[in-house]
Amino acid sequence: MQAVEIKNLSFVYSKGTPNEKLALDNIDLSIEEGSFVALIGATGSGKSTLIQHLNGLIKPQDKKHSSVIVGGKNAADKKTLKTLRFEVGMVFQYPEYQLFADTVEKDVAFGPKNMKLPADEVSRRVKRALETVGLDYNEFAERSPFDLSGGEKRRVAIAGVIAMEPKILVLDEPVAGLDPAGRAELLALIKKLQKEVSPTVILVSHNMDDVAALADRVVALKDGRIVADGAPRDVFSHRAFIMHIGLDLPTAARLVDKLEKKGITLSKRIITMAELKDALLSIFKKRAKKRGNNMGYAQINAVTDGNKNADENVEECDGASPVDEKAKGDESSPVSDEKAEGDGAKDENDSGSAGGGEDV
Amino acid sequence: MPFIEIKGVSYVYPLREGVSLKAVKNLTLSIEAGEFVALTGMNGSGKSTLAKLLNGLFKPTEGEILIDGISTADEERIFDIRRRVGMVFQNPDNQTVATLIEDDVAFGPENLGLPRDEIIKRVDFALQAVGMSEYRKRDAAKLSGGQKQRVAIAGVLAMRPDVLILDEATSMLDPAGREEVMGVVRKLVDQGITVINITHNMEEAALAKRVVVLRKGRLAIDGTPSQVFSSSLLESCGLTLPPAAALAKELKDSGIDIGTVTTEESFAEGICKLLK
Ligand SMILES: Nc1ncnc2c1ncn2[C@@H]1O[C@H](COP(=O)(O)OP(=O)(O)OP(=O)(O)O)[C@@H](O)[C@H]1O
Ligand SMILES: Nc1ncnc2c1ncn2[C@@H]1O[C@H](COP(=O)(O)OP(=O)(O)OP(=O)(O)O)[C@@H](O)[C@H]1O
Ligand SMILES: [Mg+2]
Ligand SMILES: [Mg+2]
Repeated sequence: MQAVEIKNLSFVYSKGTPNEKLALDNIDLSIEEGSFVALIGATGSGKSTLIQHLNGLIKPQDKKHSSVIVGGKNAADKKTLKTLRFEVGMVFQYPEYQLFADTVEKDVAFGPKNMKLPADEVSRRVKRALETVGLDYNEFAERSPFDLSGGEKRRVAIAGVIAMEPKILVLDEPVAGLDPAGRAELLALIKKLQKEVSPTVILVSHNMDDVAALADRVVALKDGRIVADGAPRDVFSHRAFIMHIGLDLPTAARLVDKLEKKGITLSKRIITMAELKDALLSIFKKRAKKRGNNMGYAQINAVTDGNKNADENVEECDGASPVDEKAKGDESSPVSDEKAEGDGAKDENDSGSAGGGEDV
Repeated sequence: MPFIEIKGVSYVYPLREGVSLKAVKNLTLSIEAGEFVALTGMNGSGKSTLAKLLNGLFKPTEGEILIDGISTADEERIFDIRRRVGMVFQNPDNQTVATLIEDDVAFGPENLGLPRDEIIKRVDFALQAVGMSEYRKRDAAKLSGGQKQRVAIAGVLAMRPDVLILDEATSMLDPAGREEVMGVVRKLVDQGITVINITHNMEEAALAKRVVVLRKGRLAIDGTPSQVFSSSLLESCGLTLPPAAALAKELKDSGIDIGTVTTEESFAEGICKLLK
């Protein structure tokens, strides 16, 4: 089933004024239930505008030609709007927009209460949601959500959304402002929620490491248009294209490129640090074998150090052997490099710049 | 004498009848003119509170803060303090004051009573620096999250402060925007401006010469990036290593020691050296 079906969606801000801005330009996008989609794109590319259509905060301007169907409901339909908002939990880019009550407790309870859940269930959910986002209930329940630190506000906003146990989670830069430990916890939490409560997740993020680690599909926007749509591994393998749309690579891919410049060739399909680690370990292992050393990597340092002089003239880095077999044959990346070229970015017919991304 | 002197400073927020919260606790710290400092630590550790103390928005409940010898509690000099210590707030929406972007950026310099052509020069420079020149005639309220952050930074740059405090000013920027802003920061540092960058991004923290870490309102770690990243307190402060450094550590645990790594470049070099 499709969790989201967007057809022909365009959106113009401040129509007819000097501020007029085409923020979305003919978007077609379907999202399968159960998928984890990352929405990426440079500042101003239209991400926040797009997702605000998903729970009817922004309505399609051209009702005749465009439609936004979410969980089987028309997001522009007033009659189902309330239930739609129970099903689509949205964490805004700036949590301040989301907070309104005079205590943290009331703020988080607002959604579940509106859903007409029994009082004891509401209070159970509020407590659980606050603990889940790392806020001590006793310490924070009576505080005003406006008198909190930036990261604490964000946590309250997230708690308010997960307390509703929505089927679809829409998160606009949810980890911005969280400390590194909190960020790692939240990302793990999102993954867990997807398994247990909210099967469909749409994540807007500028952090390509998070995108690479979490998403099974990446949709990239540029100037309000979809310019790439595919598995993260495929999309990120189009190096020049990623730069062209004003984005960056995941750290692991950037390191692969840096190593390549130094003559160490690894697969361009490596996108996570875990994959990079495996690839490097396997190179070191092979190296140790080639040298007739089968003692395992624990010995590698000693060996390399001992051979320093002998190695000095050898351009070994160039020979440092190529590809990480594992990343290539990995289940999660069934596509060959060949196919990825056509698949990773969207068809040329759809947008001038995609497909041949590498040439841009 | 250091340019910024924080002497035994505490700050208490009154919450409600009989309940208050001490957000900064007996903090002593000094920062020299021209230093580039990253300020980091867990959510709620007191970073933003400290920033607001530094530009005189809050007065210390205890202790004293001197900016170039002037106490932030000295009401007669408060204008001076604000002019010297420019701050980009955590939420840029709190910061826009005018409708047009260029007027918003000009607001600060106008308040300084600068001549018209100087104001124009500064606004041009600031908008250019954050890559928002083409938006100058646009409505400041009607921007994307990252664009708002850029305008907020421009507004403070136009003030040409002695001390620039960025409170998570890059958190909503795309990677290119983040790099641009950090490029501007580096230029300002080269020009001798003191920069305090509040950030949760460890790679960004590593760009500073000095990293100050707060924990529950107290000073927890203070040192160079590599000192801080090798501190045993790192984890208890809610921090992690930057990704490349974290991987280097994991490799080391597997028996492959590529030496100390703080940047991606040093990671690549370390690997290459071992393979040569
Ligand atoms: N209220 C508004 N009025 C006019 N234009 C707007 C308004 N909100 C956004 N825009 C413009 O629409 C475009 C898309 O904005 P949007 O907020 O969707 O971008 P975004 O991809 O979420 O960016 P960011 O990564 O910076 O959050 C931008 O160029 C922005 O300037
Ligand atoms: N206006 C306020 N009224 C009452 N308490 C506040 C207020 N602002 C912050 N606090 C509390 O003071 C402490 C320090 O907050 P501060 O905003 O300085 O933290 P921070 O280090 O900037 O955190 P973050 O990384 O989340 O932005 C926190 O416990 C917070 O709850
Ligand atoms: Mg946005
Ligand atoms: Mg803060």
